[in-house]
Amino acid sequence: MKVTQGTFSFLPDLTDKEIRAQVEYALAQGWAISVEYTDDPHPRNYYWEMWGNPMFDLRDAAGAMTEVADCRKAHPQTYIRVNAFDSSRGFETTRLSFIVNRPANEPGFALKRQEVGGRQIQYTIESYAAQKPEGQRYE
Amino acid sequence: MAKWARRNDMILHLHRAGHGTYTRQKTHGVSFRVIAKWMRMAGVDHIHAGTVVGKLEGDPNVIKGIYSTCRDTVTKQNLEQGVFFDQDWAGLRKVMPVASGGIHAGQMHQLLTYLGEDVVLQFGGGTIGHPQGIQAGATANRVALEVMVKARNEGRDIWNEGPQILADAAKWCSPLRAALDTWKDVTFDYASTDTADFVPTPTSA
Repeated sequence: MKVTQGTFSFLPDLTDKEIRAQVEYALAQGWAISVEYTDDPHPRNYYWEMWGNPMFDLRDAAGAMTEVADCRKAHPQTYIRVNAFDSSRGFETTRLSFIVNRPANEPGFALKRQEVGGRQIQYTIESYAAQKPEGQRYE
Repeated sequence: MAKWARRNDMILHLHRAGHGTYTRQKTHGVSFRVIAKWMRMAGVDHIHAGTVVGKLEGDPNVIKGIYSTCRDTVTKQNLEQGVFFDQDWAGLRKVMPVASGGIHAGQMHQLLTYLGEDVVLQFGGGTIGHPQGIQAGATANRVALEVMVKARNEGRDIWNEGPQILADAAKWCSPLRAALDTWKDVTFDYASTDTADFVPTPTSA
């Protein structure tokens, strides 16, 4: 099951040329690029591992593409995303975030039913991949 | 209500009932821009701010003025948009504008051009009315939005190339194909009666 998080996740996976075009757009807006990766695809997992620091001084998209390539080499079987952070007053938040790498096999999510007080049921989801320990999920 | 909503983990949405009063009757006394400003100060989270292209017709300039009132950090005087003086919003939180009412995937290039991306696009009938079901309707709208944002960021002229961009995406996305076929002829091309009082007079050089 293809995980759909962030912008462009309903489109076919972006090529490097398309990723570069989006990075160039973000840099033209004055946003700072960062690269993050994770092997926990839960939709509420906001805090992915940082691949180095956000590149606040970066002006050339080539620098970001190098980081993406290095991160892919080190963590090929993980989700990798590119974030663009807008530091201007009134935003001070991520303006663009999209997935640029995903594991070859995405097993999807299980629906969990937890019986609580009375006849109530609480529903939650759990990634099949996250049932394994960190680092062994997409081997 | 804004305080209650925050305490109880709720989002406070302001639905624009009485749209006809605001947009078809100039003499009722209160511009919707005033309501928007008042609601931003009151702590509303999202507000129906007008759509331009849907059935809740609006003059593009008037709508821009309302959107500025919701989203700007500093709003500059703009008489065409009905903004009569500079307004510095300081640290006042923004309101997310909501566009809705008779909009569908085929208008995505117009919606993105007029309203930008910091907006909630509510496709009601444009989702539920999809011939393949609600999930297919949601997929069609999301694909149309993403493909249009991507094209705009790549520097393409979405206002003119928009229909072609959507048609190209429909080749690999059958829900979008069905949505475009279903709603292709649905437009609401009204001349809005709620226009700015100020009209610029062109001067010959």
